[in-house]
Amino acid sequence: MELKIRKSGETYIIDVNGEMDLYNSYKLKELVTRMLEKKVGRFIINLENVDYIDSSGIGALIYICSTIKKMNLKLIITNIHGSVKKVIELTKLMGYFPITQTIEDALLKMEA
Amino acid sequence: MRAEASKNKVKKILVDENSPLFDKTNMLHKEFPSDFRQIRYFTLLIVQTAPPDIKDVNLLEQQISEIIKNAVKHGNKCNMEKKVRVWYSFSPEHAHLIVEDEGEGFKDLEKWNSFNRTRQECLEKQNFEALAEYVSYRGAAADDNDGGNALFAALEYWDGGFVFNQKRNCVAMLKKFPKRRLGVQVDGDNS
Repeated sequence: MELKIRKSGETYIIDVNGEMDLYNSYKLKELVTRMLEKKVGRFIINLENVDYIDSSGIGALIYICSTIKKMNLKLIITNIHGSVKKVIELTKLMGYFPITQTIEDALLKMEA
Repeated sequence: MRAEASKNKVKKILVDENSPLFDKTNMLHKEFPSDFRQIRYFTLLIVQTAPPDIKDVNLLEQQISEIIKNAVKHGNKCNMEKKVRVWYSFSPEHAHLIVEDEGEGFKDLEKWNSFNRTRQECLEKQNFEALAEYVSYRGAAADDNDGGNALFAALEYWDGGFVFNQKRNCVAMLKKFPKRRLGVQVDGDNS
C-alpha cells in the first residue's frame, strides 16, 4: 500500500494505492495521526485505487473517522467501489462513514 | 409481537456441535502453521480451487482470510507449533468452510452476540451517534491492528450458517450463491 498526500485549498487529500489489509492498514492510521499532530483539520481519503480491504482496513477507517469526529474536524471518504464497497456494506457502515462518490463532491461538501 | 419478531431476526453466532455444517464428507483439507505473515498466501491456496463465478471481486478470499486470521492470531496466538486445519468445498452454488485451531476456544462468544445485538439495534434506529460505541468489538486480547469488525461481516456473508463446536475452537460456515440461469431465450418467451 502506498499513501500520497496532496493539497486542495485547506483540504488534504490522501490517495491510497493498493490493498488495505492486515499487514499495512496501520500505516494510514499512523499517517493521519501525524497529520492531526500538525493541526491538519480537513481530510479526504481517496480509495479510488484500492481494490481490496479487510477488517483491519475497515478498522483503520473506523479509528480515523471516530478520532476526527471527536475532534470536530472534517473527514470525507471517497471513490469507494468494488469489494471495498461490498465489505463496508456487509459491516453495514455505509451510513456511519461520511462518503461521497467523487473527490469533487467531497471538496464541495467540505466547503458546505 | 412485531418487536419480538424483529429481535428474533438478529443474526448470531451459534454453538452446535451437531450442526450438519461440521460434516466433512467430500471436503478438501489443508493444514498450516500459525504464521501470521502467510495468512493471505494460505487463503489463496484455498480460494484457487473455487469456481470464478463465486469469487466476486475478491470477497470470498477476503472473508476466508478473516476466518484464518482469527484462527492464527486469536486461536493459536501465532504460535508456529500450533496448526490451523481447514476443510473446504466450493461449487457455483456454495462455499463451505471449516476452520479449526488449537487454541482455548472463542470464550467471548456470548459477549460478542450481546454486543452485536445492541449494534443491530443502533443500525435499525439509524442511531449513528450511539453506533459509534458499537462499530468495533474489542475482546480482552485485541490489539490496535484488530479491526474488531470481521465477524459482523462474516455473519452477513455466510448466509447458510456460522457455527462453532462445543469447545469453540472450530467454526463451520456456509455461503449459498443463487443459481445462474442459462442464457437461453425461448422464442416468444418475454418473461
